[in-house]
Amino acid sequence: MRHRHILLLGLSLFFLPLSAMAEDEEAAAPRAGLRVDAVPGVMQKAVDDFIRPGYRDLLEGTETLAEAAHTLCEKPSGETLGDVQMSFDEVVQQWSTIEIVRVGPVIEGNRFERFLFFPDRKSTGLKQVQRILATNDETATTAESLKGKSVAAQGLGALEYVLYGTGAEVLPTEKNGFRCRYGAAIADNLKAVAGELHAEWEKPDGIQSAWKNPGPDNPVYRDGKEAATELLGILVHGVESIRDQRLRPFYAGIIKGEPDKGHPKMAIYWRSGNTMPALSANFSALQALFNASGMDALLPDGNRDMISAINYLLQANVDDLDEIDLPLEEAIANDEQRGRLNRILQNTNNVLQRLNLDFGAAIGLSSGFSFADGD
Amino acid sequence: MRLTSHGWIPVLVTGMTGAKKRTGQFGSFCMAYQNTSNQTLIDRRAFLTMAGATWAATLAPQAAFALSRTDAVYASAFMAPDGSYGVATLTEEGAIIERVPLPARAHGMTWSPVTNRAVAFARRPGTYAMIFAPDDSIEPIIITSVEGRHFYGHGCFSANGRLLYATENDFAGNRGMIGVYDGTNGFARIGEFPSYGIGPHDMTLSADGHMLVVANGGIETHPDFGRTKLNLDHMEPSLALIDTATGALIERHAMPDNLRQLSTRHVDIDADGKVWFACQYEGARNDLPPLAGSFARGEDIRFLELPEETALALANYVGAIAVNRRDGLVGLTSPKGGVEVTIDAKTGRVVSQESLADAAGIAASPHGFVSSSYSGSFGETKSRVAWDQHIIRIGKL
Repeated sequence: MRHRHILLLGLSLFFLPLSAMAEDEEAAAPRAGLRVDAVPGVMQKAVDDFIRPGYRDLLEGTETLAEAAHTLCEKPSGETLGDVQMSFDEVVQQWSTIEIVRVGPVIEGNRFERFLFFPDRKSTGLKQVQRILATNDETATTAESLKGKSVAAQGLGALEYVLYGTGAEVLPTEKNGFRCRYGAAIADNLKAVAGELHAEWEKPDGIQSAWKNPGPDNPVYRDGKEAATELLGILVHGVESIRDQRLRPFYAGIIKGEPDKGHPKMAIYWRSGNTMPALSANFSALQALFNASGMDALLPDGNRDMISAINYLLQANVDDLDEIDLPLEEAIANDEQRGRLNRILQNTNNVLQRLNLDFGAAIGLSSGFSFADGD
Repeated sequence: MRLTSHGWIPVLVTGMTGAKKRTGQFGSFCMAYQNTSNQTLIDRRAFLTMAGATWAATLAPQAAFALSRTDAVYASAFMAPDGSYGVATLTEEGAIIERVPLPARAHGMTWSPVTNRAVAFARRPGTYAMIFAPDDSIEPIIITSVEGRHFYGHGCFSANGRLLYATENDFAGNRGMIGVYDGTNGFARIGEFPSYGIGPHDMTLSADGHMLVVANGGIETHPDFGRTKLNLDHMEPSLALIDTATGALIERHAMPDNLRQLSTRHVDIDADGKVWFACQYEGARNDLPPLAGSFARGEDIRFLELPEETALALANYVGAIAVNRRDGLVGLTSPKGGVEVTIDAKTGRVVSQESLADAAGIAASPHGFVSSSYSGSFGETKSRVAWDQHIIRIGKL
């Protein structure tokens, strides 16, 4: 049988009649407008109060992590391993905050993937990391040579496997062992990428200036509308990414009345127990960017309800995620914890609509943000 | 780069391979044919899960129409005020005749005058396409992309209407593909061949029916990363002419080195058989690159040099292109710039430039073009929908 189509027999997929839909309707309510004069201030706050601090924190966190990793190799012990693990958790938090910004220098030169390669759907990255460990590949023990390898072998996922994967028990005892030195090289690589990102955003005439001063000669935004659209795009794409790449792969919600059985090992950072803390940091970051930039200033008056609703939904997700404390497999099987996951999915869809359609429409994107998203 | 005068710029194209480098691809075509069995049930389940009960519930029985279906001359995808999606047929004046709901957002469409079948393709990285007859003579058919592929939102029929071609992404292999579907057999997928580039988007058939013209946008995307553009710093846009009989590459035009961030997105064919293409620029916003051009088979591409006023108005982004063959005109729309531009195909000069906020689709009309907008205008008519980026003409001019 070579048929690949689905002929929807039994389902009457007839056209709806014109009479049922009304003819030549007038357009909906008059369009709201973007307060263009507010854009430079909002962009300045987004850059100075969220993006630059985010990359600065990430650089500091990766510096601490790299130092701790080298100390572990020199003086292996339960304590020095604990220091590395704590620093790793901290970097996961910092990255999960600033990773919502998927525009600018981070998507150049494969920096995003070099910092975090996820999802690793066919375990290609995992296999590469395991091969490096199995063969004691010395070319993976300096950040410089690691840079030339697969992106999947040089980021947070690789380091998590080094710290928590099969064979990690050698770390507190083996001085300058291969596994530790590979881990330290990954940490150095993370520090290098974070350093590049920090430097790009700190250049006075670089991207921060372009973001703060939309105008005809600007290489990024020709006008305030383009800048405001991109800022909203960070939020819309951020929520979409969390839902589609981070939540649904391990728990898809209620399907045909039945809760998804879940795939705990599809969850990000499941080995280190950072899944919920990372998701919580993602939603906190969206809320932080939304409020720190003062995006409400872009709206015409009278939209306080929308601002409150967006804040409420993002905060509700943070609160629910912070209460999910069982191991993932148990959390999915537990009524109370699964209920929170269901609510998180609902609230995520809700906040996506509010940002994409409501906020988008309010700043003059008549059909929401995603419609003008290019194709 | 600032271009200030009217007329044509001939461009020396380095990436053109010419017919000499033609390579047969028939082998892969046959292999793919064999691989497409035994998946109907899986796909049906996957599709119904994706579509959801809500969508199934919106399917209404046939009812009386205020306008005859024979008045339908255009079709376009849309988003309704409640955020649901569908496709509509429209009159010459832009009034909606019929609507059919869709499970997710559609993008481009195509139509075969021979078989009177129209197709709406899911927007990338979508996984469905719906085939229907504007006169409702068949029940709509939904096809889903095979595992490891998704649709890019465009496709076209063969000259006899029997085969449907769709631009698809082999995302694991990071290469564009053309999926081939058999219209005489329920649109079963019978094969595929390469698009000879990354990120194929729009595609059309040459006037003689022997070549597919594919705009490889050159932008790498992967469904795991949603709509994120993954390779803006090393794009490879190109225009490929592909032999419909064999799937072999006839010629390929890469963008010049200084325009590697000029994504070739949409194409149409003029009365002389010349290919017209329109682009979206991913480089610096204060560059002023060419945004459209044309070429005939065996010739280098020539960019259209637009007056600065027009180039600025297009905001480095042409969303749709259409040719009115009878009038010898080329139409361009830009939602980012909120403008519709008409060009004389012979001279390359701007015939008209009109503001149109949220400009969406454009298609040939009896006099020039009809255009639509995200905010619901379609020609002179306004409807409570957001029209998607493309319009197709489903009636003769």
